[in-house]
Amino acid sequence: MAGAEVATEPRTLSGTGPGGRGPRTKGLSEKGLGRLFVTPAILLMIGVALFPVIYAFVISLRAYTGRLYEGYAGLENYREALSDDKFWASLEFTFVFTVTSVTAEFVIGLGFALLMNQAFRGRGVTRAAILVPWVIPTVIAAQMWYFMFNVNPGSVNALLGLGDFNWLGEAGWVKVVVIFADVWKTAPFVALLLLAGLQTIPTDVYESARVDGANALQRFWHITLPLLRPAILVALLFRTVEALRVYDLPQVMTRGSFDTESLSMVVQQYVIQTPDPGLGSALSTLTFAIILGVGVIFVSLLGRELTIGRTD
Amino acid sequence: MSAATAETRPARRRRSRGAVESATRGRTWAKTALLAVIFLWCLAPFFWLIMTSLKIEDSALNSPDLFQGPFGFKNYGNVFEQDFHLNLRNSLAVAGMTTILCVVIGSLAGYAIARLPLRGKILLLTGILAVSLFPPVALVPPLYELWLKLGLLNTYEGLYIPYTSFTLPLTIFILTTFFAAIPKELEEAAKVDGATPFKAFFRVILPLAAPGVFAAAIIIFVSAWNEFLLANTFAPRDPEVAQTVPVAISQFTGAVDFQRPIGNITAACVVVTIPMIIVALVFQKRIIAGLTAGSLKG
Amino acid sequence: MRRTTTLGKWMIAAAAGSLVVAAACTPSSDDDGGGGDEGGGQLTWAIGGAEAQPAGVDQKIADLWNEQNPDNPITIEVLPDEADQQREQQVNVLQSGSDEFDVLGMDVIWTGEYSQNGWLESLEDVRDQIEPEVLEGAFTSAQWGGELWAAPFNTNAGFLYYRTDLVDQPPETWDELCQIAEQVGQQEDIGGLIGQGFKYEGFVVNWLEYYWSAGGELYNDDQSEVLFDPEIATQTTEFMQNAMDDGCFAPGFNTATEEEGRAAFQSGKAVFMRNWPYAYQLIQDEGVPQVAKNFDIAPLPTFTGEGTISALGGFNNAVSAYSSNKDAAKEFVVWAATDPEVQKMLATVASVPPVLTSVYDELQSDPDMALLSEVLPDAKPRPPAPTWNTISVEMQDALFPAYNGDGDPAEASDTVADAFNESVEE
Repeated sequence: MAGAEVATEPRTLSGTGPGGRGPRTKGLSEKGLGRLFVTPAILLMIGVALFPVIYAFVISLRAYTGRLYEGYAGLENYREALSDDKFWASLEFTFVFTVTSVTAEFVIGLGFALLMNQAFRGRGVTRAAILVPWVIPTVIAAQMWYFMFNVNPGSVNALLGLGDFNWLGEAGWVKVVVIFADVWKTAPFVALLLLAGLQTIPTDVYESARVDGANALQRFWHITLPLLRPAILVALLFRTVEALRVYDLPQVMTRGSFDTESLSMVVQQYVIQTPDPGLGSALSTLTFAIILGVGVIFVSLLGRELTIGRTD
Repeated sequence: MSAATAETRPARRRRSRGAVESATRGRTWAKTALLAVIFLWCLAPFFWLIMTSLKIEDSALNSPDLFQGPFGFKNYGNVFEQDFHLNLRNSLAVAGMTTILCVVIGSLAGYAIARLPLRGKILLLTGILAVSLFPPVALVPPLYELWLKLGLLNTYEGLYIPYTSFTLPLTIFILTTFFAAIPKELEEAAKVDGATPFKAFFRVILPLAAPGVFAAAIIIFVSAWNEFLLANTFAPRDPEVAQTVPVAISQFTGAVDFQRPIGNITAACVVVTIPMIIVALVFQKRIIAGLTAGSLKG
Repeated sequence: MRRTTTLGKWMIAAAAGSLVVAAACTPSSDDDGGGGDEGGGQLTWAIGGAEAQPAGVDQKIADLWNEQNPDNPITIEVLPDEADQQREQQVNVLQSGSDEFDVLGMDVIWTGEYSQNGWLESLEDVRDQIEPEVLEGAFTSAQWGGELWAAPFNTNAGFLYYRTDLVDQPPETWDELCQIAEQVGQQEDIGGLIGQGFKYEGFVVNWLEYYWSAGGELYNDDQSEVLFDPEIATQTTEFMQNAMDDGCFAPGFNTATEEEGRAAFQSGKAVFMRNWPYAYQLIQDEGVPQVAKNFDIAPLPTFTGEGTISALGGFNNAVSAYSSNKDAAKEFVVWAATDPEVQKMLATVASVPPVLTSVYDELQSDPDMALLSEVLPDAKPRPPAPTWNTISVEMQDALFPAYNGDGDPAEASDTVADAFNESVEE
């Protein structure tokens, strides 16, 4: 609302602006500026991402034997994908994994962010320490955890004095280990986003609350959390869509044994390992649709916050 | 510093009263214990990496005991013999370019979505999100062929262009959040002063969104640095040209077939992590110190 | 004032950024860009693994060829260490029809897949130069559909490693092995047999060794008929299930690949190990002294007690159908398979099992080569069917849960039988 009113003023007041197109124009209008600003992003994303997505979708409508093209298949690949037990089993695991690990990452990440926000001796080192898990490349971290949790040579078992406990080879524990590895690795990412978000909360709000007699917990619950909501939603959104696409950790640590096969692993199998381009593309499109569906929920929650903004 | 520290100061300032003193001591102990737990959680595996990288002659396999076995720097020597420094250079260039491109393009788009009048913003956001959701493994075959025709294989451009494209959604979401959090009064004050919308953006808004920008920058840099799938497909082999660090590490061989060189892998990992921590340390200060008291209280 | 300072920081950032931009132009490599156009005699050998590295034996072989054939010099394009990754990279190049690779170092199970996709040049015209000289099993793995598509290069077979201080005589049947493993394992408080039981191709290799040694077969000679026996398969899986429960298999059997097995055995935590010959030298050099001085190798046991069976591994060299230098490439692959000097080098320099039968006569003094010559004639290759990967994945999906007590062995055998039957229906 306020934006629409202000839009007309700068035209009459300013001279040439950096965004202007010459001595005659009095700077770009807000609308034009808006379009100009989003254009490079849209061009780049469409240029690189659109063609392969359409290609993949077209391929998903074709039949293949191995890699050899056999003709038009319509929705046959989709039917095959949806009737495959593997698909549903991987969907179940992926959802369980996502919900559990994102929740844990959020709680731990929030704790980290609040801590990183404090002033105390050694805060620089603490902040760096918290970021260490996240900077290790995922493929390496996965190998590291596979090695550490394996019975032979048994690093974790030796550390905890557990003898021959088979972390990676027992039905329930496998999932725990994979989730643990993911939480360990990506809680810092959530922490980073929330830490930046904490910076946008002005101090005077806390001051006036303290003057009013609110204790730390009340300040956290009634001030911090609500004002942090956009950052929280962004963090949750991207962690959720990343978790739904998890690949490296279960692939390296368990190869999908004991029901730890994720959606991406099934897609990968049909694209690379036992290639059937039609089926692989169909699975990709299905995965995409599922994840997009989840994402849309977050975006609608978030969208209002971002586009209308804060008016405190 | 004020925004961050205001909360913790009061506890220390109170003078001695028996109960308050022991409560304070209790709190300090609790805080120290908490810090210790956090350090252990974050750094224990990294300590394992360091110790394993220092173990030579298969002592990593022969014993899970971290302090057992012959130690030496041989693994680090092995790593650099394989042109690893070239991989570091490649990763730095690609991640660096990606960060710059993403921050510039993403800031513009983020500001536009947060503040400028655009139609169909929610739809736009959904579309932007959708770009990063398609399973990359399925996008790779057509992209590979296209890159082959365009001669973009084994080049930096062939990597940082798709990296930028796939990291823009996260960047835009983060930056939009931060632009939206800036109170409108500041913008309007700038405009009343006679600035064009663009000047208002560049001189006033952007510096205020600094914490978000630096947070986004770290995230982009680390994501691009650690990316594996595209790098493995588009620049798989030649460190002299464009092979990046994760791809190189995944291709380490032992002295004989089947042997997995865990020593070299952990050594490379340690070598890679240290500059990353430095980058993170530098950037994290900017995130905290970004918003200075003055501009907000106004 | 504050604004200018912040802006100043942005300027510095922009300056640093432009430095990065300037540096971010891809450096030009020393060799010709992409190595794509190689008319006039140049050959590229795309092979991976430890021996393909600059210090490895493959390079020495390439040097030897270059000495003898200065008009057709060959250079190695080093592929990743893991077979799956090697295949991915080869497939990317072959699918695009590029002539970047002339000679392909292929795992023995890829022959059918590559030939079905038209990526290989038939080697029928040089068949007679190769067939009489090389091991039968290795030669079988280079054919599909009755046609020769590759020349064997090196091979591999499974050994039984055992502790000589704990076991007097290597067992001849699996049941005997389990008896000893459980007994001695309990006595010494260590594991029994460690093999490759993780859910990957290595598990299929191990399972097939049990299956074959119980008398099972997969296909007939020209791969036109499926001979898979679900009953024997069920017995095999039940054997593995019992071995897991009774402690015949060492702890961690179902999460072990080759290296974890070696880690367990060479640190003294297992009585027996099933592994490839590569571990022999490594255990001697790097195992804990107690093990390094007290272990030996023997042929794998069977269920019947007669003879021995092991699965065949190894690599074959093939000529790319898109190569611009096919004749020289063909000569190279034949030479690498049949030249005595080359094959001997594999064994003496790298301890890699050669395929040339005549070489083994000279290598009898070397314990692992001697055992190889004993074991290789009975080693069976996995059928290099075009759909082998699919079959293997189905086997893993069905048999892994079954032997871990999470599925019915009989049902699993039926699923696998279906997979095999489907593979001949095409």
